[in-house]
Amino acid sequence: VNASSDGSIKWVHVVAQASCWDKDGRVLEYFGAVQDVTQRRLAEAAIDKARSELAHVTRIMTLGTLTASIAHEVNQPLSGIITNASTCLRMLAADPPNIKGAQETVRRTIRDGNRAADVIARLRALFSKKAAATETVDLNETTREVLKLMFSDLLRNGVDLRLELDHDHALLVTGDRVQLQQVILNLVRNASDAMRDVNDRPKHLLVKVEREEGGGARLIVKDAGVGLDPQTVGRLFDAFYTTKSDGMGIGLSVSRSIIESHGGKLWAEANEGPGTTFSFSLPRLAASETDDRTGEAALTPDLRGERDVMRNS
Amino acid sequence: MIESRPLLSVVDDDESLRESLPDLLQEFGFAVETFASAEEFLASGRIGETRCLILDIAMPGMSGPDLQRELVQRHQKVPIIFITAHADQSVIPRLIEQGAVACLRKPFSDTALREALDAALAPP
Repeated sequence: VNASSDGSIKWVHVVAQASCWDKDGRVLEYFGAVQDVTQRRLAEAAIDKARSELAHVTRIMTLGTLTASIAHEVNQPLSGIITNASTCLRMLAADPPNIKGAQETVRRTIRDGNRAADVIARLRALFSKKAAATETVDLNETTREVLKLMFSDLLRNGVDLRLELDHDHALLVTGDRVQLQQVILNLVRNASDAMRDVNDRPKHLLVKVEREEGGGARLIVKDAGVGLDPQTVGRLFDAFYTTKSDGMGIGLSVSRSIIESHGGKLWAEANEGPGTTFSFSLPRLAASETDDRTGEAALTPDLRGERDVMRNS
Repeated sequence: MIESRPLLSVVDDDESLRESLPDLLQEFGFAVETFASAEEFLASGRIGETRCLILDIAMPGMSGPDLQRELVQRHQKVPIIFITAHADQSVIPRLIEQGAVACLRKPFSDTALREALDAALAPP
């Protein structure tokens, strides 16, 4: 590192080799080269910075989506609690007081309070990430958790969601649960956005988790949206490439790098009909081969019949 | 006696709201009918009697704003109070512009609801 004439720092790379020795083996002369690597250093620093900014922006964006869903999920029961409590006060203040009616409103207040607590418990499960980020993740369960949080959002966008989980197998993978959830959230949100302006057909969205032959677990997100322009397919996963007017074009590139860091792959295909299918595949944990039955039993009991629960009803 | 109370219709897909809100509205002195969807309300034959419609914005199938447009097309001039659990306020000005009396964000207080109802039922 040298200070150059204008005061800025120069990075140099020095390579040298002894080329001349005296009779005792002491070096008399070195032969070497000094290379100015300032440009390379600056470029590397810029890439590092861009990379961490990308990660940050994605986190903020997914947080924004999550926050909206959480607000909705919590506001519903809160609304019930406040209305019931207001009614209760009025019933008790009446002459004569309406005790029976008041009791009923209190019962409903407690139930709605529990509903709000359930939402928080679900969130806690979603974010209970240990510092060391590798854990065993059940793709069925993780997908279900993400969709539960996104459900009201999808509903609002008029999306007809069909969720197909693999009820016969626990699909266990190793990885960072929150990162994988971010990928799922990204793909589902992209699919929903792609159908935003679709008015001439149902906004079908299929989210499917399945076991792959040869030791993989796959997640498929199939929309009936605007579809892919064949010319742009190759650029889909480039950072800052986007077809959305309000998008930043980082979701898919970050999603792909997350999946690849988990030893998997993420790809896109145009549908036969309208829309696009995004899929990722992750190596399945060997234990889920032998442990299918216990793995399944360990899942929450309401997983079966999930399709009915999650459909617009 | 009951018949003379003004009828309010509540349209919301959230069941706990359909349970809780009618009791409060009855305490206010209104008769109340609840509907789980906009379609159900349209098919009910109670549109003409409804003095004020309390309407959720986001519902599966026909949304609250969809129903508002449908009623305008049918020349039904029932006052509408929108309610929503979403924090997104950007849709509210448009709904008011199209004739809604008020838009209450859940959770709302009984006084806010009372004020909106007073505004909706005030003689023109």
